[in-house]
Amino acid sequence: MTLVYILKRLAISIPVLWLLVTLTFLFLRIVPGGPFDQDKALPPHIKANLEKEFDLDKPVVWNTKKWSEGHYIQFFTETQYFYAMKKLVHGDLGPSFKYRTRRVTDIILESLPVSIELGLYAVLFAFLLGIPLGILSAHRHNTWIDHTSMFFAISGVTLPSFLIAVILIYFFSIQWGMLPAGLWDSGFEYKVLPVVALGIRPVAIIARLMRASVLDVIQADYIRTARAKGLAEFPLMMKHVVKNSLIPVITIAGPLVAAVITGSFVIEHVFAIPGMAKHFIQAVTNRDYTLVMGVTIVYAVFLIVANITVDVMYSVVDPRIKLS
Amino acid sequence: MTQSGTSLWQDAWKRLSKNKPAMVSLGFIVFIILVAVLADVLSPYSYETQNTVERLMTPNSKYWMGSDQLGRDLLSRVIYGSRISIAVGMIVAICALISGGIYGAVSGYVGGKIDNAMMRIVDVMYTFPSLLLVILLTVLFGRGLFGICVALTIVSWVSISRLVRGQVLQLKEMQFVEAAHAIGVRNWAIIFKHILPNILGPIIIILTFEIPSAILTESFLSFIGLGIRPPLSSWGSLANDGFQAFKSYPHLIVFPGLAIFFTVLAFNLLGDGLRDALDPKLKNVSP
Amino acid sequence: MKKSLYFILCFGLVFSTFLGCTKKHKLDNETLVFNLETEPPTVDPTKTTDTTSSLVIENLFDGLLDYDLPNLTVVPKVAKSWDISKNALVYTFHLRDDVTWTDGKKVTAYDFEYSWKRMIDPKTAAEYAYFLFDVKGAKDFNQGKLKDEKQLGIQALNDTTFQVTLAQPVAYFIHVATFPGLMPLRRDVIEKHGDKWIEPQNIVTNGPFILTKWKHDYEMILTRNENYFGPKAKLKTIRCLMVTEQSTALSLYQTKKLDIIRNLPALEIPKLKTSADYRSGNFLGSYYIGFLTTKYPLDNKYVRRAITAAIDRNQITDLLEKGDLATTSIIPKGLLGYNEKIGIPYNVEEAVSWMKKAGYKLQDVEGEKQWVDTETKKPFPTITVTFNTNEAHKTVIENLQQQWKKNLYIPVEINNQEWKVYIDSLHSARKTPDRVGFHIFRLGWVADYPDPDNFMSLFTSYSDNNNTGWANPKFDALVEKAKVVLDPKKRAKLYDQAQKILLEEDAAILPIYIYAHQSMWRDEVQGIALNPLDSWKLDEIWVQRKTAQK
Repeated sequence: MTLVYILKRLAISIPVLWLLVTLTFLFLRIVPGGPFDQDKALPPHIKANLEKEFDLDKPVVWNTKKWSEGHYIQFFTETQYFYAMKKLVHGDLGPSFKYRTRRVTDIILESLPVSIELGLYAVLFAFLLGIPLGILSAHRHNTWIDHTSMFFAISGVTLPSFLIAVILIYFFSIQWGMLPAGLWDSGFEYKVLPVVALGIRPVAIIARLMRASVLDVIQADYIRTARAKGLAEFPLMMKHVVKNSLIPVITIAGPLVAAVITGSFVIEHVFAIPGMAKHFIQAVTNRDYTLVMGVTIVYAVFLIVANITVDVMYSVVDPRIKLS
Repeated sequence: MTQSGTSLWQDAWKRLSKNKPAMVSLGFIVFIILVAVLADVLSPYSYETQNTVERLMTPNSKYWMGSDQLGRDLLSRVIYGSRISIAVGMIVAICALISGGIYGAVSGYVGGKIDNAMMRIVDVMYTFPSLLLVILLTVLFGRGLFGICVALTIVSWVSISRLVRGQVLQLKEMQFVEAAHAIGVRNWAIIFKHILPNILGPIIIILTFEIPSAILTESFLSFIGLGIRPPLSSWGSLANDGFQAFKSYPHLIVFPGLAIFFTVLAFNLLGDGLRDALDPKLKNVSP
Repeated sequence: MKKSLYFILCFGLVFSTFLGCTKKHKLDNETLVFNLETEPPTVDPTKTTDTTSSLVIENLFDGLLDYDLPNLTVVPKVAKSWDISKNALVYTFHLRDDVTWTDGKKVTAYDFEYSWKRMIDPKTAAEYAYFLFDVKGAKDFNQGKLKDEKQLGIQALNDTTFQVTLAQPVAYFIHVATFPGLMPLRRDVIEKHGDKWIEPQNIVTNGPFILTKWKHDYEMILTRNENYFGPKAKLKTIRCLMVTEQSTALSLYQTKKLDIIRNLPALEIPKLKTSADYRSGNFLGSYYIGFLTTKYPLDNKYVRRAITAAIDRNQITDLLEKGDLATTSIIPKGLLGYNEKIGIPYNVEEAVSWMKKAGYKLQDVEGEKQWVDTETKKPFPTITVTFNTNEAHKTVIENLQQQWKKNLYIPVEINNQEWKVYIDSLHSARKTPDRVGFHIFRLGWVADYPDPDNFMSLFTSYSDNNNTGWANPKFDALVEKAKVVLDPKKRAKLYDQAQKILLEEDAAILPIYIYAHQSMWRDEVQGIALNPLDSWKLDEIWVQRKTAQK
């Protein structure tokens, strides 16, 4: 049943993805400036040679010239859009416009694992810190402990990530010399600052969610009953409350990972990490059409999978919710 | 049903006023808005007059927050920056709320095929990496206040529409709405008289969370070089200017950073307070 | 409650254990860590246009000739000597016979013939193909008009003789033989591996270093070529990192993770300048302001002159504090034709009188001074200056705005754009100046080769790089003439005349300063000579670490 549901959702995603790709394609053509516009202007025919190499010599969406010549099929096929789609269907986006000797697929295959690694660490960090914080502040609801830990958690969402990175670098690298200010070498010390900087926002989200969830469960009848029966506080919290309130928190893990991985641009840039999010912004800045397309598709797939996961998780966790 | 709204709001206010962090935050927000409105009166110097002799000064009695690389008073720039940051936050939140709210309400209320079609569009928007969209839109619309607000609105209405739709769907099944239908009350009257007052709570909560999130997104745009254009400056663009020099001249990043920190914090605490006061069960609304 | 404390405690423990087993990267006397800043778009010489790629290519490959830095004279490299025919049309290069590729094969003239032809082959779509357009048949070949390779003026006569024939004599052509885009290439390697021939496992080079590792967007490892024909590199390994964010690079430098950083965060420079590690020097690049000379009110040359004379360039270089040299001449210092006396210097009185000559009158309107057209009675319009988003440009333009307002009472608005949008609007400004939202723009130009023609030909009426819309046939003729005159003194005179037209008479552009590059390295790093080409010969660098790293 669940499998059928997942397959159905995936099937629906294909037209969504197609629409997305089309929109991205059109958007990139509308935005002023092309991949080969530089301060040192190119002689027109050299630009023409380049455009030919990258299929940019054709009209964007329809080829009116072919239409007037009576080639009605080529009206659609002899276009940049059709060529791009054809490549996409074959699973190869062609070479990057900026990194001319590298293929987009290769760029993504090299950089995506780094982003995933960073993202997973960050989410792990967020869970390890956010869950205890949430429990603590729910258990001591409306005391100074609650306010302090919530203040601490909320602080994570109050600063743009480049400011968080600056604070971490300033203290941990420059003042105390404990951790490197950047780079992504194999040692553990290289992972700490970027992971913390990236994970601090999810900490806030998880802590708040956990707090709300624990508060909900504590008020439930069976907990009151258990408490009335004189069950000790600690086992009660661990066995019944925490276990039950973890459910909604765990269901958001999927989207959280997706959000963290797709949102790590600033961190990757500031810490010089060779991940994919970095390419995203740079590719748009460079008008690297093929690379933007590649990264967009990967991100979209991430988001789609995350959305499906959350729905499936909900139904697994709460059988009252039906998948449809 | 609407009559009971008054006491509901009174109740909520009572609960909110007991929440100290939320009340302090509310006070702070009012203060910041006043600063933004009265920037001309409050700021000691012009935000754009350069004084190349007194540049890059650390905070002192003349320049309370120091001066920047062109010898401009940082305090005045932070005060004027509040205008842009708060304006971006408010405009985006309100526009996103109106567009997303109407979209979600119509979709949920009408239901059926139209609802289905409208939700497919939302699905596509959800899959669109919002970052890409924001960048493309700011490049396209230019970098004035208008362009940035349009771009941010376009990426933030989607989640609101989903939320409002959910609320409307729930309410639609309620007895009092069905009763209104039965006695022949018109659709728009039902929406305005019965549904809207009942989802006002969640809407206000969304608003308080949407404002800080827009402020943060704007500062992110500044970081990637797509923020508001000079000589105007937002807190985000000021902080980004300071980012380059945080080792030598930390004051350039600290003060705008603190402004962002406290403002966003205040909105968040107020939002939490409102949520507790208005609708303790509503958990989906988080920034 | 206790459990949650336990959670936190556990977490803290895990965290600190990991911190405990921190390993330090070893820095020894055989390794240098260099900041390359960005991923080189490619190291395929034919397909590069950018400085990062060129830096790497120059350390991996050896070309026909090289520069003797810092004198900028051309010296032998793979070619041990060269002859130029009397009519200055035929260049014959005599190659050494002891230069080998990293796979052991000999470097021959045919490898050069291949790379030169590959450059102009339309199928390669090389952006810098126009560097060879003075060669006989090259332009037609690149445009697809000429198909027969044999008619090209590029030919290997035998293994050690390479001959180039020009279409017309060109004074600076010898510089082309040093160009990183024209390094010798191995046809067999390129044809075997396609685009992937530049990956470490495939690449075959002939320079002082071998590319042994390339983790894209992160690092490149260059290792000493033990079979190099010249003096071997002093260091065994160069680790080139790609730290793009300047402030991060600085932090890494200060924590000794990087040995050399180039380009420093603009705002940190005033403090960094006081450090002994700070080094700076001028190079062949000019920063200038361009006027849309066909757009009202800048279509009046007196207005342009006034606007130029109202600017104190020293104020800008003092603000930036990075050692840039304020200049009135567009040809940078260090090149033939540089003349500090040419151009309009800062002079407010003169600026005011030029405004009057342009037909404007200074009036007091509501306590503020304002220029009013004496005929139409219309006030002088607000001028818009545009620039691409960047910290340093912002400082420059905001200061210009202030100076124009203060010195000349001209209202100025500024407007920055994202790089590609900016370039796009500059290009359309040339064709439709009235449809773009600005009057004044900024640009910089860095020499492709050390010759004044590289700067002067930018502003000819037919140049693709002339965004001002300015056209003066006298200027065009002077620049064309100077191109083929071989006598340096005569050339310098011609450039003086041309610069006078461009900068004084017509004031089409306003040069601001000659760029300086900044870098930092500690005294333990030796053998670096900053030079006007900003060229980095990594093989000459060595290190002597003062204390062994932990």
